[in-house]
Amino acid sequence: MIHVLIFLPALAGLVALVYPRWAQSLGLLATAVSTVLGFGLLLGAGSGVAAYAEIPLLKDAGVYYAVGADGVGAVFAVVIPLVVFMALLAVREAPGRMIGLALLMTTGLLGIFLSLDLVLFYVFYEATLIPSLLLLGVYGGRDRVRALMKFALFTLSGSLLMLAAILAARFVGGAESFLLRDLLAARIGGAAALWAFAAFALAFAIKTPIFPLHVWLPDFHAQNHPSGLADVMGTLYKVGVFGFFRWAIPLFPDAFQAFQPYLLFLAAFTALWAAWIAYAQNDWKRMLAYGALSHMGVAALGVFSGTQIGAAGALFLLAASAIYTGGLFLFAGWMHARFGSLELGPTSGLARHAPALAAFGLILFLAMVGLPGLAGFPGEFLSLLGIWQASPWLALLGFLAVIAAAAYVLGAYQRLFHGPPGKIVAELGGPEWGFAVLATVVIVVLGVYPALFSTPISEAAKAFVSVLGGGQ
Amino acid sequence: MILLPLLGFLVLGLWGRSFKGQSAGVLASLMVLGSFVLTLVLLFGGGASFEVKDWLPGIPFALLLDNLAGYMALIVTGIGFLIHVYAIGYMADDPGKSRFFAYFNFFIAMMLTLVLADAYPVMFIGWEGVGLASFLLIGFWFEDQKNADSARKAFIVNRIGDLGFLLGMALLYSLFGTLQISELREIMEKSLVLPAGLGLAGLLLFIGAIGKSAQLPLMVWLPDAMAGPTPVSALIHAATMVTAGVYLLARSSFLYANLPDVSYWIALIGLLTALYGALSALGQWDIKRIVAYSTISQLGYMFLAAGVGAYWIALFHVMTHAFYKALLFLSSGSVIHALGGEQDVRKMGGLKKYLPQTHIHGLIGALSLAGFPLFAGFWSKDAILASTLNYPFGGYGFYLVGLFTAFLTALYAMRWYVLVFLGDFKGQGHPHEAPPVMAWPNHLLAVGAALAGFLALPEPFWNLIERFLAPSLWHLEVEPLGTATEWGLLLLSSVVAILGLFAGYRLFLGRLPDAYLAFQRAAESAFYVDWLYNTLIVGPLKELAFGFGLADRGLDRGYVRLGGGVGLLGRLLARLQGGYVRVYAFFVVVAATVFVLWGVVR
Repeated sequence: MIHVLIFLPALAGLVALVYPRWAQSLGLLATAVSTVLGFGLLLGAGSGVAAYAEIPLLKDAGVYYAVGADGVGAVFAVVIPLVVFMALLAVREAPGRMIGLALLMTTGLLGIFLSLDLVLFYVFYEATLIPSLLLLGVYGGRDRVRALMKFALFTLSGSLLMLAAILAARFVGGAESFLLRDLLAARIGGAAALWAFAAFALAFAIKTPIFPLHVWLPDFHAQNHPSGLADVMGTLYKVGVFGFFRWAIPLFPDAFQAFQPYLLFLAAFTALWAAWIAYAQNDWKRMLAYGALSHMGVAALGVFSGTQIGAAGALFLLAASAIYTGGLFLFAGWMHARFGSLELGPTSGLARHAPALAAFGLILFLAMVGLPGLAGFPGEFLSLLGIWQASPWLALLGFLAVIAAAAYVLGAYQRLFHGPPGKIVAELGGPEWGFAVLATVVIVVLGVYPALFSTPISEAAKAFVSVLGGGQ
Repeated sequence: MILLPLLGFLVLGLWGRSFKGQSAGVLASLMVLGSFVLTLVLLFGGGASFEVKDWLPGIPFALLLDNLAGYMALIVTGIGFLIHVYAIGYMADDPGKSRFFAYFNFFIAMMLTLVLADAYPVMFIGWEGVGLASFLLIGFWFEDQKNADSARKAFIVNRIGDLGFLLGMALLYSLFGTLQISELREIMEKSLVLPAGLGLAGLLLFIGAIGKSAQLPLMVWLPDAMAGPTPVSALIHAATMVTAGVYLLARSSFLYANLPDVSYWIALIGLLTALYGALSALGQWDIKRIVAYSTISQLGYMFLAAGVGAYWIALFHVMTHAFYKALLFLSSGSVIHALGGEQDVRKMGGLKKYLPQTHIHGLIGALSLAGFPLFAGFWSKDAILASTLNYPFGGYGFYLVGLFTAFLTALYAMRWYVLVFLGDFKGQGHPHEAPPVMAWPNHLLAVGAALAGFLALPEPFWNLIERFLAPSLWHLEVEPLGTATEWGLLLLSSVVAILGLFAGYRLFLGRLPDAYLAFQRAAESAFYVDWLYNTLIVGPLKELAFGFGLADRGLDRGYVRLGGGVGLLGRLLARLQGGYVRVYAFFVVVAATVFVLWGVVR
């Protein structure tokens, strides 16, 4: 079943590339099935790895097709197809082939989170890049080429170094294969580990992203298709935090501890820097890009804290922010459909004519602010508890950003919805309701009953800290 | 208890438009009444608790109804119910009233969550929830940009306090590994040695309380919060939400009772806030802003009491204050209603003639606030003042400043009363008395504002409140003052209150002396704190945001340059590959030499 879960979206995506007219319904169907299967995994998730499957690909080279879901994998096996499903509910003017590419990307993303073989992980990691580049390159805005160059150069330079480090991870230590468990059994140490960790860290820092390697992100979002679908996929593709959690830190724990103070500092700085800048943005997508960047800084802090509770919070935040940040990008897409622009300036007073739209927007925004009772809070809070144990000062620095979120988010919300009523625009209507209701339910459920995600994630995080040697 | 108003919120929020006439308000009020009755039943049934284990890893979702929580819940739902009923009349002609009542019910639900929480994160849910309700209700008339701005200001200033709350929780968690309040309390009871850092945790939580209860230096949001409809000001910004900070201190009394240093700061900040609020109230012209600054001042008194360890007295004042301040706000609301939205006291006066009922309400409220003998505010305020004399670290300073503030309180209470109800009417039109649905809640509140003090009298009479709350609070041993002293102090407070009232009557009915006018100008802008904050903090932060935005673009451009540099290097390297074998050979030799040299040197 786990194979169906992973590959069904890609199958639908291939069909969609050939028959673009069916793309949306096929995509909805495939992601719905994957979501349900993922949910099955989540309910069955215990302390170990569920649905483990291992097929040798290149036996001599020690490369396996090995997939399975621990608590974290199971959570993302739900979140990824669910978010894509919601995105497909929300978008109205997306070309069929674009949806096809998004579906291909979905499979790649699921592969990233469920791979338990390092080479397989790398294959998925790189394969996902191709549809992502195509989405930007084919369907992007006027300056897409520049944005594409930046995105591609940053990502590729990171991943090439990582490839070298992958080889080192196995052969320096003499592990039997690239399987996670074999690599963990024969971990490398010393200078080699330092270099290998640095290479991994660079690649994942670009993908998180962490200051100063984030500069591709604002343009990436600003230039992507206005519907927001590509931005959602891009948001899901920010797998850096997960990469640190699953691979980089467990494989090279000593090297991580050598780098830890710098990483923590950079992550905290990212959180604050980005939140501050978000306040000064006048473009929907740039504002969201910086806001999401700030959240990733907090998530990175959680993982870098090296504590169970901090790492659990970070991954919760990663999962939850995919939902509400993705939702906000789609919301921006609706605004683009209504106003023909993504500027935050001239619109105002929408709440008068479109109260339901305003209410839904407020829920998404408040989730981003981290209001308790909504999906944004548990991750931030657990991260904080962990970060404090690693460094109270950086906890303060990082959480200034969380406080600042209220300033930029509410500022944007009020510019849009409050004030004297301006142009009359369409109220939430038709298929938009489906997305609005589903997103609201998911955000509220995760906020009110976070244990649904936090219990399995925390189980997986326990293994993470035991690898680190003690911790808490 | 929580679910009833939450249900009201959902129903009204989702299907608000199908509620015609006043049914929305009636439904919302009934929900709150239901909660009130349920609280009574459960409380006398011996309390209740509820727990979901591992809501977050290691953190349960725990609710607990003990005497302290029940006491607060009764204030919240009881006074909340009266204000709901009042709002039916006040909001009768507003097209968005079902939205209004949805928010109102949401507020009650969140406030109850806050009060019933037995784990700090759960309390934080309610804490932020009431903040959200406050944000939504201040900006209820959002089409006016100014209201929206006030709402945002309230939310953001509160977030600064919330940062303290969050960090305080993180510290407590790292010290004790739990955030459940009853567990923490047990640990504190057992342990003899307190971990270092506990003081910081107390201080951080206190910062949260400062934000929510509008204490110095985070008080700037509360006066602006008056932009919301008047019932909102009465319910949220006077009777309930702003007292959450006091409740947090009382709930954590096991912590603060062991932290004399932090408590000293609490008392000091409370005292200064009380003084600042009273002085500022004297300069205001907006009928609601006078009462708002008074609220800041009264909250300062509560913090003073909590700081000196008299937790039950702080809570006693929470209750009496809830009565008379809600009454003052609702009377102000009736006046505003009668004058068709006028809020400037310079255009009022002489309303005694036009609004006889409201006049009585306002008078009782003002007297209670001023601490006129035998009214509710008299007993609780005097108890606070007396408790400062028990306090080992304060000496007479706290008492004297507190007493002086009490004099100022009587002064501005009288000013409010004189400007609104006495003298000649300076406005236009014919004011009309409010309908019964607005008058009746005021009748009941007036009874409370007059008589609630009799629940807790000094020795040798009965004191129900201290006994009722004792099991939930940490008991601090103090030297009793002695019955004679205590009654002597009561007499002194009475004299001060009456003096203040008399001075106010003489001063504000006649022409004001020049010295007072000079003071008035400074007090009108609340001593320029807003201006100061905007110039020194808010402005630079905004400028920096733009500056950093530019810097980030600069970073972007830096990479592009770097890319250009790499390209140049590439072209240079490409030129090396000229195709001449001897050139290659040359490089090979050079490289080999370098390697060999490197090896030798090492």
